[in-house]
Amino acid sequence: MTLRDLVLVRLGVAVNLVIGQIAAALLLPVFLDAVGTILVAALVGPRAGIVAGLVSQVLMAALSGNFSWLPFGIVQVVIALYAALAARLGAFARARTAIAAGLGLGLVAGSVAAPIAYFLFGGATAGGVTVVTTTLRVLGAPLPVAVAAASIGTDVLDKSIAFALVAAILRSLPDQMKARFPVVSR
Amino acid sequence: MTGSSSGGSPLHRAHPYTPLALAGALFLLAFAVSTPRAVGLVVVAGVVLAAVGGVLRHVLRPALVLALPTWGLLLVLHGLLGADPRVVVGPLTLSEPGLARALVLGGRIAAILVAFLTALATVSPPRLVEAMAARGAPFGLIFLLVSTLTLVPRMRARAAQVLAAQQCRGLRIGGSPLARLRALSPLVLPLVLGALAEVDEQVLALDARGAVIGGRRTVLHPPPDSALERVLRWGLLLGILAAYGAKLARGGA
Repeated sequence: MTLRDLVLVRLGVAVNLVIGQIAAALLLPVFLDAVGTILVAALVGPRAGIVAGLVSQVLMAALSGNFSWLPFGIVQVVIALYAALAARLGAFARARTAIAAGLGLGLVAGSVAAPIAYFLFGGATAGGVTVVTTTLRVLGAPLPVAVAAASIGTDVLDKSIAFALVAAILRSLPDQMKARFPVVSR
Repeated sequence: MTGSSSGGSPLHRAHPYTPLALAGALFLLAFAVSTPRAVGLVVVAGVVLAAVGGVLRHVLRPALVLALPTWGLLLVLHGLLGADPRVVVGPLTLSEPGLARALVLGGRIAAILVAFLTALATVSPPRLVEAMAARGAPFGLIFLLVSTLTLVPRMRARAAQVLAAQQCRGLRIGGSPLARLRALSPLVLPLVLGALAEVDEQVLALDARGAVIGGRRTVLHPPPDSALERVLRWGLLLGILAAYGAKLARGGA
């Protein structure tokens, strides 16, 4: 990792911590806490993306005090790997392909988060996801199904919006800046 | 929500790795046990840790604020909607196995919160940085953990400026979910593109100071680390391995 990568990782972590607040200010039912991870993984590669994701998870826990979120750090690793691969395949070139790739990530990330939420926390991880889980459970869905459906459903929406945002950021980069990132300039 | 508090307790005076190791051990122990009584003991251990650190009041309030919504949801998900047989608790008729599971899960969350909030309250960030540097932690890791905490408030302030500027230009942030979603891009793009434009400048500034990713700093006054504390940390590791060994021997239950 170079000094430039390190500064980009730091930026990615800050983006993860700040954009979620913008989403909350707009009263959007999404977290958007992985935009920085996706951006760094797309620009620099999976290793930097993983570092950005894991440091974000630790700092989010330390800043909010909610350390029960720490086991979900593995989801950030999956997001970084997927985003780096999606960037290599050119998924961020157009909004349509970015949203489609984001839907795919939502399925993958939700499938990774659901067992953690179910086995470690019995489906109660607080926040909007658990409200959806409880609603599905009240409607008669078995608990594992309710946890999986809530986790995947919210992640599909969250990650497709995050991918669309990152695609818009990458397309808006000045040519001079794009030239420094081989994956984006292709 | 909470942060480091000054004090002269044994945890405040200890090497920064010791309170973190104690919190990490309680975190892992909470998942190694699976009966309400055993999880209750882990919670008690967390509360004792906070009391030893002299931060019980400082820690309990935020821990309760963070845990209460999850406890409520656990009660609904497992207690009210759990399987038969039922048991009467006050005005409620709850699932007996569901209630036991809710107690285990709720206890785990309480133990994790109390343990880490205690570590957060008793470990001074500058001492932690000194301890990490003295142990040979690379510059990159220390830079990421410490420098990002200074960047976040700056980015928050800039996000507020971007919001005000875009509202002056006619951006509406209310209305339907779709309208609010459309407002996201004009807020996020200037914020992130502005930050990306400053990357080169920051790289030059670090380079000029001789920063090297894997470089090691020499610390003038590293926090003292006694033999007793080192033994305690190794003991915690062995205790955790024993707890997971016992869990595996019980067939993972």
